[in-house]
Amino acid sequence: MSKSINKPAYRLVDNGDSAITVLFEQAISEALSVKIIQLAGLLQKAFPVLIVELIPAYQSLTIMYRTSGLEECTSIKNKLLKHIKNCLVKVETVETVETDELMAPLHNRKVIEIPVCYQTKYAPDLPFIAEQAGLTTTEVIKRHTTPKYLVHMLGFLPGFLYLGGLDKQLHCARKAIPALRIQAGSVAIGGSQTGVYPVNSPGGWHIIGRTPVSLFNVNNQLENSFKNTLANNKEESQDMFIASPLDRVQFVSITEKEFDAIIALNGEINGGSN
Amino acid sequence: MAITFIKSGLQTSIQDLGRFGQMHNGISQSGAMDSVAMKMANWLVSKPLDSPVVEITLIGPTIKFNSPMSIAVCGAIFELILNKHTSHKRVIPSNTSITVIKGDILTFGRVQQGARAYLAFSSVIDLPPVLNSFSTHLTAGFGGYMGRAFKNGDQLPFSTGSNVSKREIKSEHTPCYLGNYLLRCVPSVESGEFSEAQQACFFAQTYKVSADSNRMGIRLNGKALIIDKSLQIMSSGLTQGSIQIPASGLPLISSVDGQTIGGYPRIANIITADLPILGQLKAHDKLRFLLISTEQAMEVLEEKNNKLAKVFTA
Repeated sequence: MSKSINKPAYRLVDNGDSAITVLFEQAISEALSVKIIQLAGLLQKAFPVLIVELIPAYQSLTIMYRTSGLEECTSIKNKLLKHIKNCLVKVETVETVETDELMAPLHNRKVIEIPVCYQTKYAPDLPFIAEQAGLTTTEVIKRHTTPKYLVHMLGFLPGFLYLGGLDKQLHCARKAIPALRIQAGSVAIGGSQTGVYPVNSPGGWHIIGRTPVSLFNVNNQLENSFKNTLANNKEESQDMFIASPLDRVQFVSITEKEFDAIIALNGEINGGSN
Repeated sequence: MAITFIKSGLQTSIQDLGRFGQMHNGISQSGAMDSVAMKMANWLVSKPLDSPVVEITLIGPTIKFNSPMSIAVCGAIFELILNKHTSHKRVIPSNTSITVIKGDILTFGRVQQGARAYLAFSSVIDLPPVLNSFSTHLTAGFGGYMGRAFKNGDQLPFSTGSNVSKREIKSEHTPCYLGNYLLRCVPSVESGEFSEAQQACFFAQTYKVSADSNRMGIRLNGKALIIDKSLQIMSSGLTQGSIQIPASGLPLISSVDGQTIGGYPRIANIITADLPILGQLKAHDKLRFLLISTEQAMEVLEEKNNKLAKVFTA
């Protein structure tokens, strides 16, 4: 008789001496991202001073905490461990326990349209992607603009959105030799992911278009924007970022003329120092 | 009230202790790479320890003071000359507060030890904070002075000034940067994925710092670890001091402007107490790593904080 050994749903590992990471077994999915974002929101509310950073990723949540010595560190870790266990139980049973606290990250979810110009000028790697996929460039554009991608998390660079739902035929391994400088606003495909570079940056993804819209505008900062994206009070007013975790993003194809018109209206994107 | 950067130096920018609570937005903490030297400089000019300072890298600036104030330089040891091209030129020491008057010109000469120095002022820098910090995020181009490093001719404005009492930090309390370092580390997320052979190779060798190092990360040269290309990792939050091993098999240590989410497996993570050393590394410096427990790491941190507190009550 075979015995099935259940892998634990999650495990906690040290991430240096002042952080722990909760690693989930569950596959990358909207359900898992909802769970992670809810957990982050609950922890942030419970430990507003102790926790310095909360970093959600596809299948993990990293918690960086404030500590100055052994006794304090041990006590903090124990507190966190206990709280994580309790929060996850709450989150798992969300069908039966629908409190405002838990449902908050699921309110105010938006679908954001990002205009993208896929013309040759802005899409140097589009022919390569088309060739790899065995499609015409028109078909690639159609497949890229159809899905409503889920924002799993932000990271890597300010405002960079990790999007889920790229058409499998458009998957394409990253370049072996990354480009030294990719222009801010570039829309790209890397491996099984698609995204937009919010600032100028080196990178190994394939560039298939450019958006004239800024993904990151630090001048639109809110007070305590940390609270506003992970916990309850997310407001309608202008955010620093074009989208938040659990929002959905859809790319919309525009012409070069429309691209220029949007730039004329909003100004060039601040690409940073690179 | 202002200072003028007659020469800006290689990478001179405003930094404080960092910008916190934004990593989930992809915004790294930035801040002074050597936070200890930064705090010492602020203490010398009687400022709150987390006040913004000027971080100076390898090639320093030439600065003209347009009003009187006290200043102090800590961290890397640069040749410091006041009023170099005049009859009253003088060499000034680091780790001491110095009074300057209107028209004084401070020239940073050759760096003798370390990589980064911190220049603190008794006067208050007149810049707006961004997301609760004065640190410059160089990659994204915001914060600090116009979101960038200083250029020749830039003027940094100050508001109120004050007279402060003279302070110095005795040499037994100031670190040396001799170019040969032992960095203590603790386990990281993927430490268990590395074989005994790989760990042995990593901890046994003396690496050399590559010139391709910067505020995003420190690259090391040495004997490459043999990497199993099929090793898949779940990308997760990347903390400062994470020692990543990319496909090349050569370590890449994440620093203050590093990415917030990493894609390479991490063999270890440098302890919080040793992170300030990253700010003093320069090309060809030697590095070795020592694995300790998290408990030991916390004891070391506590001890270090206590020592620093004593210096600041002297």
